[in-house]
Amino acid sequence: MRLKTRHRVAIVCSGACLLFSLYSWRLVDLQVARHREFVREAAEKHSRKEPILARRGMIVDRNGEILAASVPVRRAVLDATQVNSPGRLAEVAAPFLGMEPGDILAEIATGTQYKVLSRCLPEERAIELRRLLIGERLRGLRLLEDSQRVYPNGPLLCHVLGYLGPRDPAKPEVEGLEGVESAFEAELRGRDGFRLIEKDRTGREIVLYRGAEEGPRHGNTVELTLDMGLQAIVEEELDASCAELNPDVAVVILVEPKTGDILALANRPNYDPGRAGSATAESRKNRAIMDVVEPGSTFKIVVSAAALAEGVVNDKTLIHCENGRYYYGGAVLRDVHGYGSMGVHDILVKSSNIGSAKMGLMLGPEKFYGYVRLFGFGERTGIDLPGEVRGILRSVSQWDRLTITRMPMGHAISTTPLQIAMAMAAIANDGALMRPRVVRAIRSPDGREIERREPQMVRQVVSPEVARFVGNALRAVTKPGGTAKLAAVPGFEVAGKTGTAQKVNPRGGYHSDKYVVSFVGYLPAEDPAFVGLVMIDNAKVAPGLNYGGLVAAPIFARIAEKAARYLNLVPVQRAEAVLPLAFSGARDGGRPPEAVQ
Amino acid sequence: MSSAATNPLAVAPLVRWVVAALFLCAYGLVFVHVKHEQHRLGEGLRQVERKLADERALNEVLLARITTLSSRAELQRRLREGFISLREIPQSSLAVLAPASEGVVTGLAQAPSLEARVP
Repeated sequence: MRLKTRHRVAIVCSGACLLFSLYSWRLVDLQVARHREFVREAAEKHSRKEPILARRGMIVDRNGEILAASVPVRRAVLDATQVNSPGRLAEVAAPFLGMEPGDILAEIATGTQYKVLSRCLPEERAIELRRLLIGERLRGLRLLEDSQRVYPNGPLLCHVLGYLGPRDPAKPEVEGLEGVESAFEAELRGRDGFRLIEKDRTGREIVLYRGAEEGPRHGNTVELTLDMGLQAIVEEELDASCAELNPDVAVVILVEPKTGDILALANRPNYDPGRAGSATAESRKNRAIMDVVEPGSTFKIVVSAAALAEGVVNDKTLIHCENGRYYYGGAVLRDVHGYGSMGVHDILVKSSNIGSAKMGLMLGPEKFYGYVRLFGFGERTGIDLPGEVRGILRSVSQWDRLTITRMPMGHAISTTPLQIAMAMAAIANDGALMRPRVVRAIRSPDGREIERREPQMVRQVVSPEVARFVGNALRAVTKPGGTAKLAAVPGFEVAGKTGTAQKVNPRGGYHSDKYVVSFVGYLPAEDPAFVGLVMIDNAKVAPGLNYGGLVAAPIFARIAEKAARYLNLVPVQRAEAVLPLAFSGARDGGRPPEAVQ
Repeated sequence: MSSAATNPLAVAPLVRWVVAALFLCAYGLVFVHVKHEQHRLGEGLRQVERKLADERALNEVLLARITTLSSRAELQRRLREGFISLREIPQSSLAVLAPASEGVVTGLAQAPSLEARVP
C-alpha cells in the first residue's frame, strides 16, 4: 500500500515536471529562440517612427518682404481597420472634408489602412474636427501634420519663385519644381525629425514608452536680390501694356549692372504659383531665360564695341552706308533710311544695318565670333535659376556668306532676353560682364546669415574707354534724332538701344507681319543704377507701327521713371520733355520718321 | 495529551510569511499605482503637447494671414478700391537727420542729430 502511494506520488510529480518542462520549453522558445521575430512583429504592430515635420524656409526679397511662406494644414487620413462607428464617423467628418457621408462610408468599406481624404484641411477646422472625434470617441480618422505653401503676392514674381508640386503624382511629398523653390530645394526643405513611439490597440500613443527622438531642422530663408517695390512697378506697367498691345509674350528685366543683381523680372503670360497645377505649361515658362529670340538691332552694341576694341574703327572712322542699299553675298541689305558716310556713333544712333554689317566685315568672322562669345552669347549666363538655355550661336565653320553681315544686326543668332540685358549691363558697367543672380543670402530660420553670395565678374569684355564710347552713342539714341526718343525720362540721361526683328516662323523663314520688338537701356547714363530690358513679342498694333522705338521704348520710359523715383535717384537735368505716358499717345501722334528700327 | 494542548500552528513563521505576503501585495499595488500614474501623466503630457502644437500652428496660420493681408499685392488692391489712401507728407513735417559722425575727442561714432527743423 505504502509502495503504491509512493508510486502515485512519483507519477504526479513526473507529470507536473513534464508539464512545467513543456511550459518552460515554450517560454524559452518564445523569449529566447524566437525573440527577434516576435519583437519585430510587436514593433510592426505597436511601434512607429513618427516624423516631426520640418518647416519649409521662407523666400524674402532684398528688403525682407515675405514672398513665399508655409502654413500648417492637416492631412486627413482614413484607417478603416480602426473605425469603430462607420456611420457616425462619416456623418461627423463629411462637412469638414467637403465630402458626402456616403463617399466616406464607401472608403471605409474597402478596409483600406491609408486613404487620404483631404490634403489641405485648414488648421482651425482640423482642431474643431478632432474635438468632435474625441468627444464622440470615434476612431479611424487621423489628422496628420502637413503644410501648404502660400505666395502672398499671387502671380507677382511667379517665374522667379517657382512653385511646389509632387515629383511623383502617386506620392504625397511635394518639392520645388521651378524657380528658386526648385534651385534652392536643399536649403528650403530642411530635414524632418522623428520620434519612436508605441501605440495601443486604438492607435493612441503610449507616452510612457516613447523612444529616441530627433528634432527637425527647419528650412533656411532664401533672400533674393529682387526688390518687390521695383517688381510691382514692372508688373503694373506690363499689365497695362499687355492690355493695350495684347502680345503673345512680354518680358521685362531690371538688372543692377555693377553687381549683376536681378532687381525685377516679369513675363507674360504668367500664373499664380499657389495654383500652379491649373496653369498651362506655356504660362509657367520663364521666358527671360528659356525663350530664344533673334535680338535685332540691340545686338549692334556688340559689333560696335568689338570693332572699337580691336581698333578696326575709331571715333573718327567714317563708314559708307551705301545710301540704304548694300549688295553683298548675292543679297541686298537695306537700311530704313538711306545714309551716306557715318561714324560708329551715328551708326548706333541711326541703327544702320549696313554700317553694322560693314563693321562685321572689317572685323572678320573669327574676331567677331570671339567678341560675341565674350559678351556671353552662346553660353548660359549662370543665373541661379533652373532651365536656362544657352541660345543658338553657330560656330564660324557653319556660317554662310551672309552670316557675317546679318549677325551684326542681330539676325542669324538667337539669344535669351537675359543675355541681351547682361550684354547691355556690361556696357553700362565699364565693359565688365557680371554673372546675374537672384539670390544674395541664405539665412537660418532665426535670421542668422549662413551664406552671403558675392557678385561675380565673369570677364572684362572690352576696355572701360570702349564701353563709355558705346554708352555715349547710346545716350544719343534716346534724344531727338535717335531711334528711341520715347525712351527718354525727364530729368535723366538715358542710354539704350531699340531692336525690331521679324519673328522666326517655326516652319521655316520669317513671319512677314509678326515682330519681336525690344528696348534695352540704362539710367542714369552717367552712373547706371539699373539696366532695363523690355521685349514684346507680336504686339497687336497697326501695321507699320510695330517697332522697338514705338512699342517697347515707351514702356521702358514709364518703368524707368517710376523706378528712378522709387530708388530716390537725383535728376541731373531739368525735365523738359513730356514723358510718353502710353503707347496710344505715340500712335495718335503718328509715326515719327526717324523713330523707327 | 500535551501534544493536543499545544497549538499545532507555528505562529511565528506564519506571521513572517503573512507579513512577507502583505509586503509583496503592497509592493505590487504601489507598482501598479505608480505605473498608472505614469500613464496618466504621459497622457496629460501628450495633451499638453498637442495643445501647444495647436497653438503654434494657429499662430503660424495667423502670421501667414497677416503676411497675406499686408502683402504688396493686397495693399495695392485696397488702395485701388479705396479702402486705404496715400497722403503726401508735407515738407514742413519732415525732419532731416545729419548722418552719424565721429566724435572729435573720443573718436567714437555719435548718434545722428537733427540737422534742420522746419518751423
